[in-house]
Amino acid sequence: MTLPFALMMLLGQLVNMCVTALAAFAVTMVFRTSTTTNFAQGSVAALGCYYTAELFGKYGVPVYLGLIAGMLVGVLCGLFIDIVIFRNGKSVNPVGKQIITMGLVSIIFGGIPLRFGNPERVPFESLYRGKEAANIIVDFAGGKLVVSRHALICLGVTVAVLAALFLLLKFSKWGLAVRATASNEFTAELMGINSHAITAISWALACALGVLAAVMYAGNGTAITASFMTTIQVNAFLACILGGFSTFYGPVVGAVCIPLVSTLVSFLQYLPIEGAAAISRWNMVIVYVLLMIVILIKPQGLLGKPVAKKV
Amino acid sequence: MKMHKLRRLMSVPLTQIILFAALMTALQLLSMAGLIPNSFTYAIGSTLIYAIVAIGFCLLLGYSGLASLGTAGFIGVGAYAAYYVMESFGMPYIAALAVTLAISVAIGVAVGFISLRVEGLYLAILTLGLSEILRNLLMAVQATIKIDISNARLFGVQLNDSGAYMLVLVTFSLLVWLTSNLIDSPTGRAMLAMKNSTSAAQAMGVSLMKHRLLAFVISTVFAAIGGLLYMMYVRVMTTSVSTLLTMTTSLNILGAVIIGGAKSLWGTTLGAFIVYGIQSMFLSKIPFFQKNPAFITMLTGLLIVVVVMFFPGGLTQFLSGIKAKLQRSFRKVREDIYGKDLG
Repeated sequence: MTLPFALMMLLGQLVNMCVTALAAFAVTMVFRTSTTTNFAQGSVAALGCYYTAELFGKYGVPVYLGLIAGMLVGVLCGLFIDIVIFRNGKSVNPVGKQIITMGLVSIIFGGIPLRFGNPERVPFESLYRGKEAANIIVDFAGGKLVVSRHALICLGVTVAVLAALFLLLKFSKWGLAVRATASNEFTAELMGINSHAITAISWALACALGVLAAVMYAGNGTAITASFMTTIQVNAFLACILGGFSTFYGPVVGAVCIPLVSTLVSFLQYLPIEGAAAISRWNMVIVYVLLMIVILIKPQGLLGKPVAKKV
Repeated sequence: MKMHKLRRLMSVPLTQIILFAALMTALQLLSMAGLIPNSFTYAIGSTLIYAIVAIGFCLLLGYSGLASLGTAGFIGVGAYAAYYVMESFGMPYIAALAVTLAISVAIGVAVGFISLRVEGLYLAILTLGLSEILRNLLMAVQATIKIDISNARLFGVQLNDSGAYMLVLVTFSLLVWLTSNLIDSPTGRAMLAMKNSTSAAQAMGVSLMKHRLLAFVISTVFAAIGGLLYMMYVRVMTTSVSTLLTMTTSLNILGAVIIGGAKSLWGTTLGAFIVYGIQSMFLSKIPFFQKNPAFITMLTGLLIVVVVMFFPGGLTQFLSGIKAKLQRSFRKVREDIYGKDLG
């Protein structure tokens, strides 16, 4: 195994990292403001992605416009979940909210085939196929380094979006309100913060980020199905646990770690040991076991702060 | 006076279980006589398997206050144990049951120890990761497993389709009876204390470690038995395509427990029938839904959302609310007729 090859494998995970990071940030946003985990994250993202794909593939709308439309669908879904469902429910506790999002998963899974028919396609293929610039080739360390253009675009968009969000969280009035609500909703309300609005915005933002992540993931050549974001969603949840829910940047770090470690583990199959080739089959098992061990040693996550419990 | 005795008899769990089992056996006999379509009782059997898993989970969530999303992985463990013991080694059902119990107890103890360090939603997501480990592990071992039931013998008796149904029913009744006894025992009370406040329970001398391990062992064993019965009943499982071992199943089991009412065994069974049974027993018979199976999924989802939104205590709360209302209006009518003194 040469150095350029190893680097290329790592770069191949770039899209995966970006998508997981965005999804993990979205999960944290919802978790911190509503203390629940949104299981519909992936399916809402898939729904928005279907709209983007339809606008792009059927009507020839430019991708970025279609993306905005898809994200708007996500925003509407998020607002609907928080304002219409959660606020009209009778004393819905966090576990109840989880079950509601699970019910929404069923509704969306059933609804997507009704609205879009044939559930499987690769819509963004034409975006890069046939173009010379689909891959960027660089000479590096005596070999050739091939990087896909899509991965670089994804990296740029993700870094820009996350940087903007972190700056807003840190310095804007909205960010202060979100952090206050996340720390203690009741006290935040006493301080004059409209925590209902903050929660609703968080849901909208989380779902929009999910759609962005889904479009990036589909653009990498993955067929869109109602459940194509499930793996990403599970990884995003685990990334949140790995990084620690108590900060906003922890989950993003966790999201970068999981695909990274997965690639590093897959390097093991090139070791000159007999039976090493079989490791690729056990790749995800090894990654998840490592993750478990880390969490057992540090239950608050890598970057989490210990939470004092009141009795 | 007789009415009073009957009512007391009905409130004993064992009577309820015997009545339920008798009803389900009658349905099976009717379908053997050709009066009820076979697919109907088949759907009941598979729903009962999910109900077994859900009851184990009910003990974990409703009585011990521990959230877990690892159920699907534990079901897979039971199914694969059944396959390897019975199909590959040609051993009888009892041996498969013993192996399943041994493995699931070991896993339950491991998860129980994890639950001592990680709590709440964190624990739920961690067990979700554990379930993914188990699923990937089983998928890497063998993607499709299939059991030929004609080799299976139980106490020397050949198992056929209705035999498998009765096996499911007997297991279900036995486990419900054991669980209802456990709930009323000191152990069950200790679990409930632990759910309401870990600190207060510890102050009263309840060992957190012992009861958490026990709760996880029981729920894992129930899930694994569910997997074992699934292999006896459905007989084939494809790990890579089917959703049985994914997060969806764990969430559906959680949903069944919440919808039914987290602290009621019959409520949980009802929840399992709503999440799994309604679509396979009734909706799939209606021509409209046969043409558009997507509507079934949507309807189930909608039902779950509505129930959780408006009945946070589950359907048991809804039903007991109706009962109380009926009793009130009944009393009022009686008072109107006979006057207050006789009420």
